[in-house]
Amino acid sequence: MTAQPAMKDLNVSTLVTPTTGVIADVAPELSGMLRVLTCGSVDDGKSTLIGRLLWDATDLFDDQRATLERGRRVDGGHPDFSLLMDGLVAEREQGITIDIAWRYFDTKTRRFVVIDSPGHEQYTRNMASGASHADVAIMLIDARHGIKVQTRRHAAILDLVGLKRVVLAVNKMDLVDWSESRFRQIEHDFRTLMWRFGFREAVAIPVAAVSGDNVAERSKHMAWYTGPSLLEHLEEIPSRGTEPVGAFRMPVQTVLRDSRADFRGLAGTISSGTVRVGDTVVDPVSRRSAKVQRIATMDRDYQEAVQGQAVAIQLDTDLDVSRGSVLAAPEAAPVVARTIEARFVWLSEIPFDKRGSYLVRTATDLVPVTNIEIKSLLDLDSLAVHPATACKVNDIAIANVALGRATAIDRFVEAQETGSFMLVDAISGATIAGGTVTSASPDIQQQDNVFVLTRAMLARGLSSDIANTPEGEAEFRRRANEVALLLRSAGVAVEVESLPDYVI
Amino acid sequence: MTVEISHLDLLEAESIHIFREAAAQFRKPVLLYSIGKDSTVLLHLARKAFWPGKLPFPILHVNTTWKFKEMIAFRDHWVKEFDLDLIEMTNHEAIAKGVNPYDYSPSIYTDIMKTVPLKAGLDQHGFDGAFGGARRDEEASRAKERVFSFRAEGHRWDPRRQRPEMWRLLNGRLGAGETARIFPLSNWTERDIWRYILREKLDVVPLYMAAERPTIERNGQILMYDDNRFPLKPGETPVMRSIRFRTLGCWPLTAAVESNAVTIEEVVAETLGARNSERSGRLIDHDQVGAMEKKKQEGYF
Ligand SMILES: Nc1nc2c(ncn2[C@@H]2O[C@H](COP(=O)(O)OP(=O)(O)OP(=O)(O)O)[C@@H](O)[C@H]2O)c(=O)[nH]1
Ligand SMILES: [Mg+2]
Repeated sequence: MTAQPAMKDLNVSTLVTPTTGVIADVAPELSGMLRVLTCGSVDDGKSTLIGRLLWDATDLFDDQRATLERGRRVDGGHPDFSLLMDGLVAEREQGITIDIAWRYFDTKTRRFVVIDSPGHEQYTRNMASGASHADVAIMLIDARHGIKVQTRRHAAILDLVGLKRVVLAVNKMDLVDWSESRFRQIEHDFRTLMWRFGFREAVAIPVAAVSGDNVAERSKHMAWYTGPSLLEHLEEIPSRGTEPVGAFRMPVQTVLRDSRADFRGLAGTISSGTVRVGDTVVDPVSRRSAKVQRIATMDRDYQEAVQGQAVAIQLDTDLDVSRGSVLAAPEAAPVVARTIEARFVWLSEIPFDKRGSYLVRTATDLVPVTNIEIKSLLDLDSLAVHPATACKVNDIAIANVALGRATAIDRFVEAQETGSFMLVDAISGATIAGGTVTSASPDIQQQDNVFVLTRAMLARGLSSDIANTPEGEAEFRRRANEVALLLRSAGVAVEVESLPDYVI
Repeated sequence: MTVEISHLDLLEAESIHIFREAAAQFRKPVLLYSIGKDSTVLLHLARKAFWPGKLPFPILHVNTTWKFKEMIAFRDHWVKEFDLDLIEMTNHEAIAKGVNPYDYSPSIYTDIMKTVPLKAGLDQHGFDGAFGGARRDEEASRAKERVFSFRAEGHRWDPRRQRPEMWRLLNGRLGAGETARIFPLSNWTERDIWRYILREKLDVVPLYMAAERPTIERNGQILMYDDNRFPLKPGETPVMRSIRFRTLGCWPLTAAVESNAVTIEEVVAETLGARNSERSGRLIDHDQVGAMEKKKQEGYF
């Protein structure tokens, strides 16, 4: 295939986009963002609720409104608002949600991101994906049916991913004659879940999604309810963390270079805390530290950068740091972990296999797993934890995970981004489970007959072509991981020797 | 201390993070460049992600040969300016057989002229991850897509088997025969794109701004007469109108809107007040219900 016949070059001056310089009035930047999740059991009206909210409160495009008006009708002769969310052909045909839908709308000062999740148990993995991105969850309950197992499962997942701010929406109030006693009953039942999972500020609102009662506008059918509509309530909730919390962490994604300017920047997104030029930072695994010389971006340098910013940090001495390391505040560094205790939700249809090859994906590291020991599962009826050794799809488990080499990790309650992980199937690449670290330890779990894959063994043949650079080290680790996985799938318990100690 | 971070700053940081993750995790990524406003933002963010280094991957443009002339000129200008490594793919066999947007339905034309050469390009070069500028707010099936979106052999998308994606963690490990699409602009809206273009003072193809251009009106849609391959029906003559485009594609398949917005601010002001979604100007999306999803299952980007 060849280039297309040359066309006369446009005069470059015509490429300069004309502006008149009144941008701020036309398109002010919004000062905040709030991500809202819907969840709850199947058919409780999640998609209808969000569809109705978009219909009433946002400037939906005319062609989208027209399409909905032409489509099928539901109770009360209203358009089927769920069609605004359920965009897959299979979803429309079956009238259910399969995967999460993302929708966006703006109020005067803020961006709302709405994530509509499926209630069906089979698609719990998709709900878990959505939940981990949300700041607040709207938990729906059908007024006729009350709390179901799936309601409890979703509540447990909210707790797992660290989502504590929940709004209870008791839906389909039209089908229970707008009954206050029914609403109070469900509100009361929900308290058990609130206490169990420590949800904060859990406000309860009676709604009817199809008719829009208490969705954007206050309902005329429930004089006994004097609280805000759902939208009014959401507008009161503060935006997502603009306050840097916790000690400084930056998982290193890649190393950027400019040979002309003698620049070597460790690139990443600051995952917690604040960093300033002149601060000492440490790489916990090598235990070496250095001072921040420059915080650089393409636009400008910063004296200080905070959580959420994507930057490149240049240090005053060249640490052997590459992808997978976490730069941290030395006084409160992450654990250099060989064993973690974790809570996770099993997302794969293939159950946990003691002999399976798994990898742990942390913020930027990928570490082979030498052993997983399931300790207990959450019982969704009693909400109690029972001892267990097996684990299958949609289970919420507590387990010990032994890592094939040391990596920097936090407890989730201390630093969410460096304290969460995904379990990956080494062969298919699939994401198997998503979890949070409850404790991390540098101790190596005792195991019989463990084969130790040493650096010397690998350096001799398989990795003899690798240069002694940070990138080389990353490639060395990658190969070591792969060899460990192959051995493991052949039934050999294996461990990868750690980096040599750099303590001087 | 409370730090005010605007929503555009949050979106920018998220996109840069995605670029860096993907570049580190995939063996041989490529950036799909379509010259429009989304591609312009995508390219700008990629440059920020890897500054001061060069882009660590090439860009790929699928040229149907029915693109607006100004688009190609714009592309070539920036490829030179940023020292980009451009790969162009065109289905020359189909052109030789006479495939064109007039005698073929939009969906068949799109498949032959866009999807086929795109897949060929990815396969020939062995790219295992391809960045695209798709946004979730564009269309109902896009609203369901992950940031790392996996394709089975033959580039097929199976919307029922998407990988879970939790927190900021991105898992790009591929199974046998799999490749990935990567969407750094997933959470951007059309308005954000314009706001960002203004803020960063980016140049866009002049077709986004209104000007007097030769047009033909058909079935209530205004089309631009870009060259004499446009088969005029009896009685049709090009009429000069002040028009601009909300999205850019192949000129026979992209409808214009009448507008007097000649500066980018005026375009943004009009966009903020727009009553129809941007894709309403794309003739291919009107073909059938679930059209986009179907195309994607067949390997469309
Ligand atoms: N009468 C009445 N019907 C409702 C109300 N809200 C939703 N429905 C109906 O309940 C059914 C399920 O609604 P959906 O919005 O699809 O429910 P969902 O929770 O999104 O379902 P999944 O996503 O599949 O879990 C539809 O037939 C709706 O029309 C309501 O307030 N009143
Ligand atoms: Mg739904």
